[in-house]
Amino acid sequence: MEVPRRPQPSTFTLALPKPASSALSPLGALQKVAMKKPMTEKLQEKDGSTEENQCEEETFSTAEESDVSVFVEAPAETSEPVDSNASAVDSKLSSQDSFSEESSISEERLAQEAEEAKKKSEEEEAAAKERAAQRQLLAIEELVQSERNYLRLLQVSTVTIRSNLQKLQPPLANLDSMFLYIEEVINVSSRLLSLLDQKHVRPGDPLFLETLCDSFLSLSSDIEAAYKEYLANYNHITVVENSYKQKEGLWNEVVRVIKASAPEVNATSLSFFLVMPVQRIARYPLLLQTIQKHTDRAHPAYALLEQTAHTSVALNCRINEYKRFREVADKYKKTETLTIKDKINRFNSHSIAKKTARLSQQIKHETGIAPKLVDEEFDALEGFFYVLEHGILELLENVETYLHHLQGFLACKTEEFDFDMDGEKAPICYKEITTALRQWILPTFEKRMRTLIHKPLCALRDLLVGPRNLIRKRLDKLLDYEVIEAKSNLSYEEQAVANTYRTINTLLLNELPQFNGVALQMIWSMLGTFSCLHKDLASDMEQLFQSFAQQLPHSSLGPGAFWEWADSAVLEGARRLETLCRSVEETLYAPAVQPLSPSSQHRLKQLTDKHGSGKIYQVIGTVVGSRDLDLNLAKGELVALISETDTRGDKRRWLVDAGGRRGYAPSSKLIRYHQPTEYPPPSPHPTLPEGVTGIRRHSYSPESRPVTVRSQPCFQVLAAYDFTARGNHEVSVGAGEPVRVLEPHDKRGNPEWSLVESRRCELLPLTGTSFIF
Amino acid sequence: MSWIPFKIGQPKKQIVSKTVERDFEREYDKLQKLEDQTKKLHKDMKKSTEADLAMSKAAVKISADLLSNPLCEQDQAFLESMTALDTAMRRMDSFNQEKVNQIQKTVIDPLKKYSGVFPSLNMAVKRREQALQDYKRLQSKVEKYEEKEKTGPVMVKLHQAREELRPVREDFEAKNKQLLDEMPKFYHSRIDYFQPSFEALIRAQPLVAAQLPVAAEKAQRLPLL
Repeated sequence: MEVPRRPQPSTFTLALPKPASSALSPLGALQKVAMKKPMTEKLQEKDGSTEENQCEEETFSTAEESDVSVFVEAPAETSEPVDSNASAVDSKLSSQDSFSEESSISEERLAQEAEEAKKKSEEEEAAAKERAAQRQLLAIEELVQSERNYLRLLQVSTVTIRSNLQKLQPPLANLDSMFLYIEEVINVSSRLLSLLDQKHVRPGDPLFLETLCDSFLSLSSDIEAAYKEYLANYNHITVVENSYKQKEGLWNEVVRVIKASAPEVNATSLSFFLVMPVQRIARYPLLLQTIQKHTDRAHPAYALLEQTAHTSVALNCRINEYKRFREVADKYKKTETLTIKDKINRFNSHSIAKKTARLSQQIKHETGIAPKLVDEEFDALEGFFYVLEHGILELLENVETYLHHLQGFLACKTEEFDFDMDGEKAPICYKEITTALRQWILPTFEKRMRTLIHKPLCALRDLLVGPRNLIRKRLDKLLDYEVIEAKSNLSYEEQAVANTYRTINTLLLNELPQFNGVALQMIWSMLGTFSCLHKDLASDMEQLFQSFAQQLPHSSLGPGAFWEWADSAVLEGARRLETLCRSVEETLYAPAVQPLSPSSQHRLKQLTDKHGSGKIYQVIGTVVGSRDLDLNLAKGELVALISETDTRGDKRRWLVDAGGRRGYAPSSKLIRYHQPTEYPPPSPHPTLPEGVTGIRRHSYSPESRPVTVRSQPCFQVLAAYDFTARGNHEVSVGAGEPVRVLEPHDKRGNPEWSLVESRRCELLPLTGTSFIF
Repeated sequence: MSWIPFKIGQPKKQIVSKTVERDFEREYDKLQKLEDQTKKLHKDMKKSTEADLAMSKAAVKISADLLSNPLCEQDQAFLESMTALDTAMRRMDSFNQEKVNQIQKTVIDPLKKYSGVFPSLNMAVKRREQALQDYKRLQSKVEKYEEKEKTGPVMVKLHQAREELRPVREDFEAKNKQLLDEMPKFYHSRIDYFQPSFEALIRAQPLVAAQLPVAAEKAQRLPLL
């Protein structure tokens, strides 16, 4: 910067009315004044020269100064000391030059004036320092005061306005999402203020600045985190507010509520309050730099202040970058569900060109024409991510299966069936245990599993969508990028493309490791929870059973002994059951022996005579003949077996004789007919040769069952007709002759004949006799 | 059989007294209810043990799948805790299997056997019904003949009918008595029969429950965050 040649006095006069603050720290100067005098004098001199130079430069800088671009000032400020040092010599030389020029005029006068000027400069210096000190104080106070005010307004908006808005009917949609991150911002801000208040230093105290800087620096990372999120979300806030503005009535209500809640502030919209953090974070650098400007470099806290100012600027840069990343990520993160029609509509020449370019690049990769831009670090991350995804999905599936089966288990209410055994200990215990299990132990277990494992897993699975889409998009952008990478001069669009790729890449490289790590930790801890739940379940069950164990009769037996007892008891029970069954069946399954009808008896006799009694079969069910030589038989008919197979060797068709007719009948419908034999009746006549005791079998039952034996009473009969004995074993009776029937059948069991006693023991045909008692 | 009010020659509409019939009905109803409950319990027990087994198998699958996932290769500590969890789950599963086997032997099989008795019981009751019907039929026939005048052929028929009636009546009485005796006994026997089953059910659970803490302890050495 060119320093104009001016005589010293005029510079001083120029310096006086200037309102611009000097960058000297009068505080520091005053302090040093309090210290050694010679030092201060020297300093003062130096200060004076620097001051004058800076005053000169100030004129230019203030002239150029604009309200907005602090950044311009900042480099100007920071470069000022350098410049001033550089130009200090110059100005000194120049002033000295002027001195030498005018030396001839009147050295004494100048010397006098120089002394005067010196004194004046000292006074001016002091005054300027005073002013500077005041300005610094003001700046500091401004920072602190504005912070307090800001905090207060934020709190008003969060607490008062929000609660009042919540009372509005109909309820505002998405109201809570507008206040999502404001809590953290308020928190950070209040912490900053409390740190300042803790030290109990007044703003006038030089220590205050140090405290201020320290607290800001210590909180800087928290500030960054809080504001980062808030700013990234701010777009959403504006969108929601616009949606409110759409409905005029609703909007008027909102405005009314705001005005009522915070009447001192003339706010007309919700974003008046909500935009404050956005403005605040950008203001910190301004405020800090203002303080820095008015602070003497020799101030002990100056370095700290400088660092704080730097930090605040860096903070803003990082927050902006984060916001940019988030915007890019949000753009590509969502999976769009498009119908085919939408997809077709999206086709235009630009998109087709884009996609073809990508495809060709991919083919080049595959065929090896073009080298692939391989980022090993990214590939490792990507691989881990996919493995993680697979693991999470599998785990979720398994957990769902587990819960499904648990529900199935709970659905079986086995405690409801008690067989009316209410008096017994064991069933009661069982009932109570199972009820307890089903009513609260297992349901609690299920609920805990759902909330502690299933729901977080589902949330984790949903979170996977974003990174997956971004990774895919990165690949697309990478393909685009590779095409233009080699070019040296990038057009605007190409630059944008390259930037997008780089943004996504950086974003993923930064955040994927965190995501992977956190997801893994989540899975790990979920499994720990799983085993913990099992442990709790086990202890619950143990407790439950212990409380009932004493009441059981066999509780004293050890586990091995108990199971042996249980097994043997079960076998015993089974055996008893079987015997019971058998005894019941034996007694019950004796059907009445129906006396055969005369025709059947006749048939029986006929067949027995012909074939022997061993071959008599009875038909169980109606037989309808379907083939040649098949017989039609009625149920209960008696037939005699001739051959157990037919001419072709079929063992299921038997050749039978049905009293004259011969033919085939299915063997399944034939059952052996055993002629009933009976106990001999108690009779005074000892001459009963045929007392056949035995098992009576009836042809109707397919199984043989023991049957009660009945005694056959002895009849006294009157012979109805004459009968002439034809042989030795037959007896002749006349009509009306009384005979005693000893057995109603002959020795072969043929009921057509009966053993009667008249004058001799003989057989008599049964037919034709009537019975009377 | 003195309780059967049956005298030859006296026409009786009532073959079996109402009290007897009522008793029979009552006992039979109880048994029918028991049959229903046995069947349902058998089904539910089966379902519950199946669900139990499936649950422990699913738990094993959780740990096995995670173990086979390449995630474990990345981190040694993770691998160790996964292995511990897997061992624990497998152990729990084997104990569960054992428990289910025991329950199968001591509860489900007996239940099945018990319900196997009912068909034959029902059959027996049906036969008694049949016998009762036959009895009634022949009884009415006898009475019919008794009301007619006593001529020769009628007498013959009467005697014949009476002869037919006798075995049937005896048969029915035997059946009835048997059933009336056996049914309450059978009903009562369920207590002793099922006593071991219930006890086994109660004692089976702690078998597994006792193992769970041991198994879970191992798995719990997973770092909890």
